[in-house]
Amino acid sequence: MTNQNTQSSTPETAAAEVVAVEDQKINPPSPFMETWNYFRKNRGAYVGLIVICFILFMAAFAQWIAPFDPIAQDRTAFLKPPIWMEGADPRYILGTDAVGRDILSRLIHGAQLSVTIGVFVVIISMIAGIVLGLVAGYFRGWIEVGIMRMMDTMLALPSLIMAMAIVAILGPGLENAMLAIAIVQLPHYVRLSRASVVSELNKEYVIASQIAGAGHMRQMFVNILPNCMAPLIVQGTLGISSAILDAAALGFLGLGAQPPLPEWGTMLAEAREFVGSAWWVITFPGLCILVTVLAFNLMGDGLRDALDPKMKR
Amino acid sequence: MALLEVKNLTVEFGSEDRPFRAVDNVSYSVDRGEVLGIVGESGSGKSVSSLAVMGLIDFPGRVTADSLTFDGQDLLTMSPGKRRAITGKDIGMIFQDPMSALNPCFTVEAQIMEALKVHEGGSKKERRERTLDLLNQVGIPDPKSRMTAYPHQLSGGMSQRIVIAMAIACNPRLLIADEPTTALDVTIQAQIIDLLLKLQDDSDMALILITHDLALVSEAADRIQVMYAGQLFESGPADSIFAAPRHPYTQALLEALPERSEGHDRLRTIPGVVPGQYDRPAGCLLAPRCRYANDRCVAERPDVGAYNGRDVRCFYPLDDRGQPTGQTTGETV
Amino acid sequence: MSFLDAKPGVPLLESDDLVRHYEVSRGLGKPSAMVKALDGVSFTLEAKKTLAVVGESGCGKSTLGRQLTLIEKPSAGQLKINGEAVGDLSDREAKLFRRTVQMIFQNPYGSLNPRKKVGQILGEPVLLNMDLGRKEREERVRETMAKVGLRPEFYGRYPHMFSGGQRQRIAIARALILEPKVIVADEPVSALDVSVQAQVLNLMMDLQEEMNVAYVFISHDLSVVRHIADDVMVMYLGRVAEKGPTEEIFAKPLHPYTRALLASAPKIDPAHRVKAEPLTGELPSPINPPSGCAFHKRCPFATDHCAQVRPELRMYEGREVACHRVEEIA
Repeated sequence: MTNQNTQSSTPETAAAEVVAVEDQKINPPSPFMETWNYFRKNRGAYVGLIVICFILFMAAFAQWIAPFDPIAQDRTAFLKPPIWMEGADPRYILGTDAVGRDILSRLIHGAQLSVTIGVFVVIISMIAGIVLGLVAGYFRGWIEVGIMRMMDTMLALPSLIMAMAIVAILGPGLENAMLAIAIVQLPHYVRLSRASVVSELNKEYVIASQIAGAGHMRQMFVNILPNCMAPLIVQGTLGISSAILDAAALGFLGLGAQPPLPEWGTMLAEAREFVGSAWWVITFPGLCILVTVLAFNLMGDGLRDALDPKMKR
Repeated sequence: MALLEVKNLTVEFGSEDRPFRAVDNVSYSVDRGEVLGIVGESGSGKSVSSLAVMGLIDFPGRVTADSLTFDGQDLLTMSPGKRRAITGKDIGMIFQDPMSALNPCFTVEAQIMEALKVHEGGSKKERRERTLDLLNQVGIPDPKSRMTAYPHQLSGGMSQRIVIAMAIACNPRLLIADEPTTALDVTIQAQIIDLLLKLQDDSDMALILITHDLALVSEAADRIQVMYAGQLFESGPADSIFAAPRHPYTQALLEALPERSEGHDRLRTIPGVVPGQYDRPAGCLLAPRCRYANDRCVAERPDVGAYNGRDVRCFYPLDDRGQPTGQTTGETV
Repeated sequence: MSFLDAKPGVPLLESDDLVRHYEVSRGLGKPSAMVKALDGVSFTLEAKKTLAVVGESGCGKSTLGRQLTLIEKPSAGQLKINGEAVGDLSDREAKLFRRTVQMIFQNPYGSLNPRKKVGQILGEPVLLNMDLGRKEREERVRETMAKVGLRPEFYGRYPHMFSGGQRQRIAIARALILEPKVIVADEPVSALDVSVQAQVLNLMMDLQEEMNVAYVFISHDLSVVRHIADDVMVMYLGRVAEKGPTEEIFAKPLHPYTRALLASAPKIDPAHRVKAEPLTGELPSPINPPSGCAFHKRCPFATDHCAQVRPELRMYEGREVACHRVEEIA
């Protein structure tokens, strides 16, 4: 019989008590693994992730994967249909467009452009949005009122019209289109980060750090920000898809990427006149946009469920 | 025949192959006019067991029991609709946080009348009168004006009184109060407990009082059940269980209370923590923390046995001097 | 000589008529109301002693904690450490003062940053207040962890991997790591289970002996207070109702409110139970406090005089009581 004396008279014995029980404890999974486990259970999100990985792979190795140069024209093969149709040229798997460019190659290179647009827009928008939101939520008062009313005003304009107006001022082109889309997306990040900062601000760990002597910068960026990231990551993922969509829309309107760049939206715009006669020219870029946006949305939803503690049991 | 009889109730969560037993073969019964206190630390399964009785365990929880009868009716085999009718009308429940138990969008009157409408019916006028009656009964000053108040306009104590009024609206025969005063101040706690005991006494209702507060149950309950990690460890009459604990856990809990210590002496502690999902011991669940544990306790899991008028889940229940006895308890219930 | 050094005959911490008012807006067009969360509270605290602050929620005990830790500036009154008024300090000195008063919070789940490892949580105060290198900092963190009974391998773990009691140990380690002179503990054990509560209380008492730290122990649990405190200050609606040595107050409470508090707390041993009428009614709204004695509407001994004139704190039988009728009641 182990008749040990459990009376803890010194911290050393208190430590020993802890040791005794902790030894048998299997540790719960780390935060990352826990999130991953929840994410994996969501089949849609998992499929989305696989599709995104596939698209990223295409984008990264476009030069090597694509069978042709995306802007090289083959004067012997205008508007050739995909290979499973009659009259197809076996070299062009998804057919060619009106000036004899290989559609598959253009789509693969287009993935590069779309992913770049999506990621850049979200990074720019997110960094600016987080800084503004953090400042607004942390300092409150007139700073908050100023920033938030400005964002409300931006949200009051239809987003595509605002993006068009910005591009009209800056001049058409892919870079300006990206900047315009980033500005249009800004209010979402500002509002989201402000809301999370306000709810974190009253938590005791923030007060504890304040007592420890943490300054404003440290409080905002080191202590509070990491706890606000979950909803922002979700919004960022969804933001990539809407950026791709907006870029395609601007490209379609002739305000985004300029021909002959193989941007999916621009490809759609170029193919407008062939809707009736050569359906493949317009269908495949459209499908690419659809699948990519859907994949990002599915992954975003899965991330939200995995990161949101309220969705867990 | 007891009003509520629970035999070998088990509630499991998690996957089939590696389930987590929140409640592990717990049996108890409550009679009319009796106050049963269930005490335990967090994770002891005291709340889950009563939720299981109410049929409030949702998927993925699994509830099994040898029998679960209320007033002679088998709750396990009856249809869900019938069960809801019984649990709604004859069993009332009060939760820990009165603020979240009330719907912030409706007035006090609307909420109590809704509860009456579902189970009792009657005209609007009758129900309004009954509501006023109930508010008077639970000791709300100036009930007429409080009827039209919204929950956020009430203090914690007032809200808990409203919750109690809703719980007793249909004259339940059993009231389950799950930590009814934990969110309240001591002076309000005393008022609420007095109110519950008075209501219980007036209508010969059975009351199950679930709490972590040993002192509170010892003052309020007739019989007390001590739970640990989902298991029933000891049960017996309130006046003797804390005077002479038979289970080492009960003994250790009492010694850990500041009330039992003299002056600035260090308190006796129970080392370690309640086992969680990942670290349940193979033998007696208390073995790693029990000061009397031996090899048998580590290897084998004890069953509940009768000892000196108590039910004790221990191989070596304590004698009057608080020392473990060598004798073993019966192997089965 | 630093102002942080103890001076003979001067109390470690002195609160002199501390007042904190909050403005509460009552909606458009209405003038904002004034809530006197803390309305003239004075006390002294010596090194190695524990002062318990007791009262119902809304009595101002947490507001007092916020003033003591300098999270907020008092509306009036002064806070002195070793006789030095905090309000007069330069920024640099104020930073040193901060180091001397640290805090332990009630909720061990909310008071630890969930995205930081234990080592980082404990390292933050050191990083911000001491001129130590990376190595020395880690060493200091590990030393403090050992002191509160946390195993060295916990250094790299996140708070969510710990139970409530362990987390509270981490919180205590964080409060201790700067070797403060005063620790304000705001309900440090009320979120913990009985068995764990005893571990934490023991630890706090051990550390007090070892490090000569003084506690301001804010609590509503009277049995815990009786166990750990040297002096008790009972507060009601922002003011002190009664103040004195723990044993005397528990043996013979003078103020009717103290009596009611003691009577309301449930006891295990029938012998400990105090027979008295439990209080009726609830704590009045601090926006619109009653005239005269704030307690008169719930007090069984109240007279017309109580309803009109506010009783001041005065000495009676070796302690301070704010009651007109203390002589008759006692």
